[in-house]
Amino acid sequence: MTNSLHLNERYQRVDWTLMVAVVLLMLIGGAFIYSATLADPVMRDASFFKQLHVKQVIWYSLGVAAAVGVCFLPYHAFARWSVVAYWGAILLLVLVMVPGIGVSRLGARRWIDFGPFSLQPSEFAKLAYIMLMANFLSRPVEELRQPKVFFKALGMMALPFVLILKEPDLGSALSFFPVGLVMMFVAGVPLKFLARLVGGVAILVILLLVDILFAPPQWQVKLEEYQRHRLLTYFGRDFTPKDATPEERRRARELQHSKSYNVEQSLISVGSGGLTGKGWKQGTQYALGYLPRAVAHNDFIFSVIAEEKGFVGSVIVVTLYTVVFFCGIRTAGQSRDRLGRVMASGVVTLLFVHVFINIGMNIRLMPVTGIPLPLLSYGGSSVLCALLAVGLLFNIYYYRRAY
Amino acid sequence: MLIFDQLRKDDRSLRTLAMVLLAGMLLLMAGLWNVQVVSSRKHETDLRNQSFRSVRVPGVRGKIFDRNGLVLAENGPRYDINLYLEELPPYFLFEYTNRVLPTYLANNPLPPATNQTGSRFFGLFGSKEPARPKLPLKTRQMLQAQARYGVASNLLLQVSTFLKQPRQLDQAGFLRHYSSSLFVPFPLIKNLEPEKVARFVELAAEFPGVELEVQPVRAYPQGVAAAHLLGFVRRMDNFDSEDINYRYVLPDYTGATGIESAFDDELRGRPGVKSLLVNNLGYRQREDLISPSEPGDNVFLTLDLQLQIATERALASAMPNVRGAAVVVDVRNGDVLAMVSLPTFDPSIYVNGAGSNEWARISDPHLKPQFNRATQAFYSPGSIFKILTSIACLESGLNPSEQFRVEPNPKRAGRGAIAVGNRLIGDTAAPGLYDFEKAFIKSSNSYFIHHGLRAGFKKIIEVGERFHLGERTEIMPRQEAVGIFPEREDEKKWPLGSIANMCIGQEVTVTPIQMAMMTAAVANGGKVFWPRLVMKTQSPDNLGLDAGAVNYPTRLRSDANLRPEHVKLIHRAMQADVESTSSDEDGEGTGKRARIDGYHIGGKTGTAEIKGSGQKDQTTWFTSFAPVENPKYAVVVMVESGGSGGGTCAPVAKQIYEAIIKREKSQDLTKLYSGN
Repeated sequence: MTNSLHLNERYQRVDWTLMVAVVLLMLIGGAFIYSATLADPVMRDASFFKQLHVKQVIWYSLGVAAAVGVCFLPYHAFARWSVVAYWGAILLLVLVMVPGIGVSRLGARRWIDFGPFSLQPSEFAKLAYIMLMANFLSRPVEELRQPKVFFKALGMMALPFVLILKEPDLGSALSFFPVGLVMMFVAGVPLKFLARLVGGVAILVILLLVDILFAPPQWQVKLEEYQRHRLLTYFGRDFTPKDATPEERRRARELQHSKSYNVEQSLISVGSGGLTGKGWKQGTQYALGYLPRAVAHNDFIFSVIAEEKGFVGSVIVVTLYTVVFFCGIRTAGQSRDRLGRVMASGVVTLLFVHVFINIGMNIRLMPVTGIPLPLLSYGGSSVLCALLAVGLLFNIYYYRRAY
Repeated sequence: MLIFDQLRKDDRSLRTLAMVLLAGMLLLMAGLWNVQVVSSRKHETDLRNQSFRSVRVPGVRGKIFDRNGLVLAENGPRYDINLYLEELPPYFLFEYTNRVLPTYLANNPLPPATNQTGSRFFGLFGSKEPARPKLPLKTRQMLQAQARYGVASNLLLQVSTFLKQPRQLDQAGFLRHYSSSLFVPFPLIKNLEPEKVARFVELAAEFPGVELEVQPVRAYPQGVAAAHLLGFVRRMDNFDSEDINYRYVLPDYTGATGIESAFDDELRGRPGVKSLLVNNLGYRQREDLISPSEPGDNVFLTLDLQLQIATERALASAMPNVRGAAVVVDVRNGDVLAMVSLPTFDPSIYVNGAGSNEWARISDPHLKPQFNRATQAFYSPGSIFKILTSIACLESGLNPSEQFRVEPNPKRAGRGAIAVGNRLIGDTAAPGLYDFEKAFIKSSNSYFIHHGLRAGFKKIIEVGERFHLGERTEIMPRQEAVGIFPEREDEKKWPLGSIANMCIGQEVTVTPIQMAMMTAAVANGGKVFWPRLVMKTQSPDNLGLDAGAVNYPTRLRSDANLRPEHVKLIHRAMQADVESTSSDEDGEGTGKRARIDGYHIGGKTGTAEIKGSGQKDQTTWFTSFAPVENPKYAVVVMVESGGSGGGTCAPVAKQIYEAIIKREKSQDLTKLYSGN
C-alpha cells in the first residue's frame, strides 16, 4: 500500500465517539432491564442487590474497570499471552461439560456457577480466539499463502466450535465462523482459499437444511431436538412426517405453536410498538407474561426496547451499534500494525454477528439461537466480554498511526 | 462519509467489511421498518386478540306496567357469591408446593435425576440449590389442577359453613371454568337469601377473592296476574345474531311468550361490551368498559291491574279448577282492560325454578295452564253466535215483531224443536210463539235456525266477515289462533243440517277475543277495532313524561256497517236478556244472573255442545256490554265444561261488572296514565 503521509492535526488518544456510543448503550441497557424488572412482581420485591438492573450495573462497572485495565498494557502484550488464554479457554470449555462443575439451565450446560455469580466460558473463548487468531495471522503476508497455515487457522477455529456446539450452544458456536473468516480476509489470506471455504460451508449448510426439512426421519442428521424444532419453526414447517394421523398432526401443531411462541410474542412486542412505542415502563407484553420472563431480559431484551420505544427506539439502538462498528473499522484502518488491524476487525465482526443474529431473531429474520445482544442483554459474562472487546478497540486506537 | 474518508482509498478489505456491515445493519433496519411500521397494525391486533377478552354485558331489561303505572314485570336483585380467581395464584402455589406435591411424591417417589443442577465439585463449584425433581408435564398439570381445586373447594366450604349452608364444589364445573372462562369470576353460591347476605357482609374480608355481587333477575311481583299476557323469559344461549364475537357472555334472557316475547327487542335494550386485559396464563389484570349497555324500554299495557285481579277472582269462582277465559275491552277504542285465562301459572318459575309438582302441573295436557284460552284456543260459540245470526236475519228483511211458532219437541216435554231435513234439532226454549226479542232472550234455536236458513249461508258468512271471524285480531303476534269460519264459496260443501247448526253457533269456532271485539263493535254501533294491549313503550329516563315514548294509538279496523235501527234492536234484546224478570211479558232472560240493579247490562248466553268421544261436554259462554245507554265495556266469559252460559258464566260477568263499578268510583278507569 502506498501511504500518503498527512499528519493528523486533530490527533486524540481516546476514541470519544466510541466512548459516547458505548456509554449510551449501557444506559439504555440499564434503563430497559429496569423497566422489565419493574413489571415482574416477583422480581420487583426482591432485595436490592438481587434485582437484575442493579446486577447489570455492577457488571457494567466491573467491565469498565476491566476495559480500563486492558488499556494499561499495549495490545501486543495480550497477543503474546494469547496462546495461554486460548488453551485456558479450551480448558474451561471442557470443564463446563463435567456435570459437577458445569451448571445446566433450560437444557443447556453452559455455565460454571461460582455462587453469587456464574460465568459462561464460551464468551471468553470468543475473545481468546480473536487474540490467538490475530497473533497467528499477523505473520508476514506471504506466509499466509501456504495451505498448511490456512488449515492450522481452520483448526484453531474448529476446536472451540465443536466444544461449544456440544454444550449445546449453536448460536455462539456459529459466531466463530464469520469472525475467523473476516479476520483471515482482512489479514490477507488468498481469496481462493477463502472462497473454497465459504463454498464448502455453504454446501454443507444447504445439505443440512435440506436434510432436516425434507428428508425422511431415518436420514436426518442428529441435531438436538430443540435445535431441530427451532429451524423448522423458522422455516414455518410443522413437525409431522408425511404419514401422520390427525391426532399426531394436532399434537405437532401444538408443539410448533409452543416452540414458536417466543418468536411470535417477540414479533407482537416489536410490531405493536409502532412508530414511537408505548413508553418507557409501559410495555405490556412482558408485564402480562406473554414474553416469557426467562428470556425477556437477555435474548429478547430488544423486543422490550422495541415495544416501549417503537421504531424510533429501534433505529437509535441500531444506529448506536453501527457507530460502534464503524469506529472499530476506523480503528482497524488506522492501526499501527497488522496485529491491531486484524484484532480490531475480529472484534467488530464478533459484535456485529451478535447484534445481527439477536435483532434478526427478534423480528423473525433469523432462526432462534440463544445469543445475547452485546451490552443490552442481561448477563455478566456477555457484558464483561463485550466491554473487554471494546477495551481492546480503545487500546488499538490509542496506539494508532498519527498520519 | 466520515469513516470512509479515514479509511485509505485503497484499503479494499476493510472497505468491503464496512460495506457488508452497513448492508447488514440496513437489512435490520428494513426488517424493523417492516415489522414496526408496515405491519404494526397486524401485530397490534394480535396483541389485542391474545390479551383482551370481550365480555358481553346485557342491558337492563325494561319493565312492564299496567295503564296506571303499576308494575307487572320488573328486575329484582339476586345475590351471588363469586370467586375472583386472579387473586388466588399465590394460594394455588402454596397448596401445590406444600401439600399436593409432597403428598404425591410420598406415594410416588421419583428416581434420582441424572441431568440436574446439584452436586458440588470439591465443594467449590456447582449450584447450592437443592436438586428439584423433574416431573413429567402431564403429572405436573394434574397436580396443579388438584391444588387449584383444593384451594377453591376449601374456600367454598369455609364460606358456606360460615353461612350455615355447607356445600361442595362441583369439580367438573370448576375445571371447565378454569380452562375456558378464567377471566370472569367463578360463581360459588348463587341466589343467596337476604339474611345470609347480611351475614356474609360481616366477614367478607377474611376470604380472599370472594365477592358478593348482585345480578338482576326478572321478577313478576303480581304473581299469576296477567301471566299469559306477560309471558316469561328464557335464558339466552344463542348470540350469533350479534356482530361482535364475544369471548364470554354474561347471562341474558329473552322473552319466550307473551309481551316478553312480542316486545323483546324493545325490552332488552342493547348489550354493552366490557374488555378484560388478561395475562399469559389467562388471569384478569384489568377491566375496561368499551361501551355501556343501554337499558331496555318500559312497556305500558292497557290492562288495569286491579280489574285484572278482580276478573281472575271472578272467573275462578265459577267452579273449582275452572278452565276458561274472560276478556274485558273498552268498546270505544278496543283497549283490553283485562284478559284472564285459567288455569294459570306464575312466570317467575322460569327464573326461580319450581318443585317437580308444579312442573308436572304445567305440562298437564288437560289443564294446559300455559295456554292462553282467550287467544290461543278456539271453541264453538254456541248461542252467542245468534247475535251475528240476528244481524244477518235483520239485514235480510226479518221483521222483529213477526211471530214464529216453535214446535214442541216430541222427545222432550216442555222443549221446542225444529226439523231440518230429516234431523230434529232441539231447543231449550219452550214451544210457543216468539218474536225477535223473546226468541233472543230465551235463546230459541228454532227461531234462529228458521230465520237464519232464510237469510242464507252466504249472508251469514258475509256478516261474519264483517266482524273478521276466522281472522287474527293481532293482539299478540304468533300467539293467536283464528278459529274455523267458512268461506262464502264453501256453500256447496255445507249440508243443510250444518248450516242450521251454524246459525246457532255450532260447527264454527271462535276465540274469546274475537267474540269480545265483535261484541264491542255491536255495542258501539258498528266500529270494529283492533284490540289494543300495548299503549306505549318508553325509554326509562323519561318515566312519566311523554318525551321519548313510542305510542301505539287506537286503530280502527273496519266499519261493520250496521244499521242504527238494528243496533238499537239488538241492544234492547241484550238488555232484556239480562234484566227481564219473570213478571215481564217474555219472562226471564237466560242471562238474568248477570243482572245488577241500577246498572244496565246487555248480554247473551251460549252453551255449545261438544260431541267428544262418547262423553258429552259443553263450552259455556256469556258475552255482554254495559252500560247499555252509553256503552263503555264489553265483557266476554267462557268456561269449558260449564253447566250453562247463564248458570256458569253470567254470574262471573256480574262480579266483573261489580269490580268495574268499584273501580270507576275510585278513578276513571279508561283515562290514560298521566304520570302521577
